[in-house]
Amino acid sequence: MPVLWTESGSEGTKVPWPYKSGLNIRVADDPPQAGPIPEQITEEAGITADWEDDFRIEPLVKEGDLVAQGAPVFRSRRHPEIVVTAPMAARVATIGLGAGRRLSRIVFFREPDAGRHAYDTGAAHKLEYPEAVREILQQTGLWRLLRSRPFGQVPQPGETPSAIVVMALDTRPSAPDPRIALKGRELDLERGLRALAMLTSGPMFFCQDMGSEVIDKDLLPDGGKLIRSPRQHPWGLAGHQVHALCPASPNRPVWDVHAEDVANIGAVLETGLIPETRLVSVSGPELREQRLVRCQPGADLRGLSFGLAKPGQHSILSGSALDGHEARWLGLRDRQTTVIEGQAGGHRHHWFLSALQRASRPLPIIPTAAVDQAMGGVMPAVALLRAVASGDSETATRLGVLSLLPEDLTLIDYVTGAGERYSDMLATLLTRIAKEEGL
Amino acid sequence: MIRGLWDRETVALLFLAALLPLTVTWLSVEGFAEGGRLVFLLVFAGLWHLVFMLARAQPPSFAGVVTALAIAILAPPDLGLPYLLISVTFGVVMAELVFGGWGRNVLNAGTVTLSFIGFGFPVAAWPELAVHVGWAAIPAALLGILAGVFSARVIAGAAIALGIAYWAGVDLSEVLTAVMVVAVLLVFDPVTSATTRVGRWLYGALFGGLVVLFTVYWAGAAPIQLSVAAALLASLAAPLLDEMAIAVWLAQRRRRLG
Repeated sequence: MPVLWTESGSEGTKVPWPYKSGLNIRVADDPPQAGPIPEQITEEAGITADWEDDFRIEPLVKEGDLVAQGAPVFRSRRHPEIVVTAPMAARVATIGLGAGRRLSRIVFFREPDAGRHAYDTGAAHKLEYPEAVREILQQTGLWRLLRSRPFGQVPQPGETPSAIVVMALDTRPSAPDPRIALKGRELDLERGLRALAMLTSGPMFFCQDMGSEVIDKDLLPDGGKLIRSPRQHPWGLAGHQVHALCPASPNRPVWDVHAEDVANIGAVLETGLIPETRLVSVSGPELREQRLVRCQPGADLRGLSFGLAKPGQHSILSGSALDGHEARWLGLRDRQTTVIEGQAGGHRHHWFLSALQRASRPLPIIPTAAVDQAMGGVMPAVALLRAVASGDSETATRLGVLSLLPEDLTLIDYVTGAGERYSDMLATLLTRIAKEEGL
Repeated sequence: MIRGLWDRETVALLFLAALLPLTVTWLSVEGFAEGGRLVFLLVFAGLWHLVFMLARAQPPSFAGVVTALAIAILAPPDLGLPYLLISVTFGVVMAELVFGGWGRNVLNAGTVTLSFIGFGFPVAAWPELAVHVGWAAIPAALLGILAGVFSARVIAGAAIALGIAYWAGVDLSEVLTAVMVVAVLLVFDPVTSATTRVGRWLYGALFGGLVVLFTVYWAGAAPIQLSVAAALLASLAAPLLDEMAIAVWLAQRRRRLG
């Protein structure tokens, strides 16, 4: 059912807004949310990047080196300020670089004795100078957890966003509840929010569900607004919140970040140590048991689901069943791994049967209630999807496509069962727009 | 990664399922002779879908069944076979298949076929629909809303427009059965309706308003004829209504978000 959405500003006013709606897809049982959550540091961990990311790096360690948890392991060649740090105390196993020193993957083997790397937070500790905060975020690698829209890149080192959206709501199927991740970390969260607020000249939106306040409204920094949304997909995706609250454009970038990462930023500023784990859900129809664990970033997904999988062929996804992709290591911003049935090999039909099902062009979208709900119910969904499908960048931009990323259309892909995925079409369109903008 | 079931053909099948009460009532009232006509139209429309599948690699759609059903129920019964075939060909091919099949068409194939008959063969007598068939349109509409195929906003918009006319003293008793059947078969088709929230209200209201206008001022028109004319004009206006709704949405957004 649609739920009335209210926006409560720092002054406590409530502004009614059209009905939001959504669809919750149930893929498997949700992991039990109560009880103790085990910590599981897998024996291996990896940091990967796609060829398209074009992430050119300069390694700061060699294969075989021992690295402390949180110690710098490489930095960006384009922006040497941005550093990536070791996800756990480990020995560097392999450094895989592609042509042009593009990062392909770096793999670590666990060595608990290597310890933890402590940073001198110095000037940033007191939260007085934005530049100091910016610098410490870039030094500790936490900068990469921020995502800048349009186009979903890691923000440029000197970029000032027009708004920041903090997500304390995740509605992907079987996603871990951010409330659990933030339990007992209110001080870290508050500190992190204050630090981030220094980096923007605009507002900061803290998105949460309709329940009790995750953070006291009075503790939000100046310009902070608490946004309540129904626990219905896709409202737990940052893209739809950005689209509704503060549309992104090339000269007005908007950042989004998960609330747990904000708490980690707060913790680093306080202690100088990067927190070792994040809350991750291990779930899927091919597991005997669904569970939540605390594991390191870049954890080995096979290690996480080891001993839990049902017999048979299956694929392990980093991310949810809707927006995940097959992977060996937990993705940069992913907080769940899903084990689904393996994709069966190609089955050849008679040409006539294939012609009845397959089209020379992808089948069109039919504007049903499901489509409206899968896009959240408040935007002209069909017009936007038609613009994306036909590659009409002008109309799509007018309707706010620059606030969205491919993950925001994965629910549409699921709902329409379309042959051609809208998320892929959006990725192509965004790449083209970025090129036209000269980015 | 995983994929749902709601592709085009599932929606078409749900559309058909929603029309079942209407179909069954119509068959039970009209008898098997009319049923034979439906089968003939199904085969003929199916042939065109097959031609486009082979020539253009365009998969056939169950939406063709809805079109055949609409034509079987609403077309003049004593229209000669050649005229019927020409009209159906014009509607199915020119309104739907050349655009890329159901989902890419601007106008409903049934609406275009029936309008073509109306313009091209004005002397053909339109059928008189039994009252039962009109009543059966109500469960069909409800099933359509439940399945998410029909928009409740379109239906409410049309109901409000007709309600206002009734309240103002317009006598709709003659045309109401035909209006309800045409609405369910042709007007509520999700593809050719408006697609935005406000657009859907306006689209429904426009259809209702046009029906009222034609009832009052179009002397001598058969109920089906005037309903189909209203359906045609409303579908033609649907993209415009969407554009208006989007323009208003964008203006509101600019005001609120800058």
